[in-house]
Amino acid sequence: MSKKPTQNIHEYLAEFEDIPGTRVYTAARARKGYHINQFAMSLMKAENRERFKADEKAYLDEWDISDEGKEALLARDYNRLLDLGGNVYFLAKLFSTDGLSFAEAVSTMTEYTFPEYREMMLNGGRSPEGNRSIKGGY
Amino acid sequence: MARITAGVASSHVPLLGVAVDQGKDRDDYFGPIFAGYDWTREWEKQEKPDVVILVYNDHASAFDMTIVPTFAIGCGERYKSADEGWGPRPVPDVIGDPDLAWHIAQSLILDEFDMTIINEMDVDHGLTVPLSMMFGQPEAWPCKVVPLAVNVVTYPVPSGNRCWALGEAIRRAVESYPEDLNVQIWGTGGMSHQLQGPRAGLLNREWDNKFLDMLEADNDEVRHIPHIEYLRETGSEGIEMVMWLIMRGALGKKVNTLHRHYHIPCSNTAIGHIVLEPADEQAVAAE
Repeated sequence: MSKKPTQNIHEYLAEFEDIPGTRVYTAARARKGYHINQFAMSLMKAENRERFKADEKAYLDEWDISDEGKEALLARDYNRLLDLGGNVYFLAKLFSTDGLSFAEAVSTMTEYTFPEYREMMLNGGRSPEGNRSIKGGY
Repeated sequence: MARITAGVASSHVPLLGVAVDQGKDRDDYFGPIFAGYDWTREWEKQEKPDVVILVYNDHASAFDMTIVPTFAIGCGERYKSADEGWGPRPVPDVIGDPDLAWHIAQSLILDEFDMTIINEMDVDHGLTVPLSMMFGQPEAWPCKVVPLAVNVVTYPVPSGNRCWALGEAIRRAVESYPEDLNVQIWGTGGMSHQLQGPRAGLLNREWDNKFLDMLEADNDEVRHIPHIEYLRETGSEGIEMVMWLIMRGALGKKVNTLHRHYHIPCSNTAIGHIVLEPADEQAVAAE
């Protein structure tokens, strides 16, 4: 006799899509973004960072990444990279290569400039009010 | 017999490591954060743990997408500080306790927790920042460390309930180890933070403090918080708090709170820190 799962995986995953402005790093995103994330990991090595900086496009062409993915990487369009399955801990290798702090890179995904973002954080951060659920609006 | 004498939880924001390494830990920005750890640093000097079981998550440093272990235990002799893209942190090597770690790994597997065993890896800020917060900048870390890495990045991550149960199993494992060791268990990460997407920067002081209250309670209700609640209320990276439940589960039903600290913000993150000791009859009787 088989045991019923504690939680239905489809219902579990569907709830994640109801969170405003958030891309939860699900298996589907992990598959889609696999090469983007592994490319980013390669920048952990100094010699790879040098080669990437010398010719970004040529370095990216060595990877099995879609044209859209390469474009988003070249543009440092982090929200688009999240849509393409990028994960922030992997993408961090790219913005570290650019010399950006975590907070500055994160701010580029929001409606704020970096100074405005910093100010928001000093004032207690973004309120969860109205930011918890798209459908529920709470 | 070895025994778990205390549980410590702490955020592990990488910027805290930078502050320590660059001597900025008492400036206007970081001062209030570090002041909340002064008590713990003094307490650790008195407690002198032999071993810390340090629950943390790797941030795409030792593990990339090639292998994603849900629960992995470090059984190696020593671990170096990882180069996370800007050079390794200038901290001492982390010395493991392979005998205890293998004992825990074997016990957990018999106890039906299917652990991944790691003999060689570098450890990133998730593990070294809590050591700096609790011990400052010594020549060598004052205790051995058993790293316990949890996947909290690729979903599904383990449930709070499973993390709590793992903590209970770790306690059983430690208490069946013949050597007389003072063992602490630390849960790291959190509290509320979101590092991605247009909702980045979310912090939730009220929810975080409710979570701290639940850790202090004489019950295990906190283990039943579903992932979706962490995500909605505390941001996508707030899910790291499930790692605190491994620590809490290892302390038994009742605990005493020795110290508690909360501060907003540190970079993108709400800082939380709590020190608990087991207080149920079993633990008291064993002393």
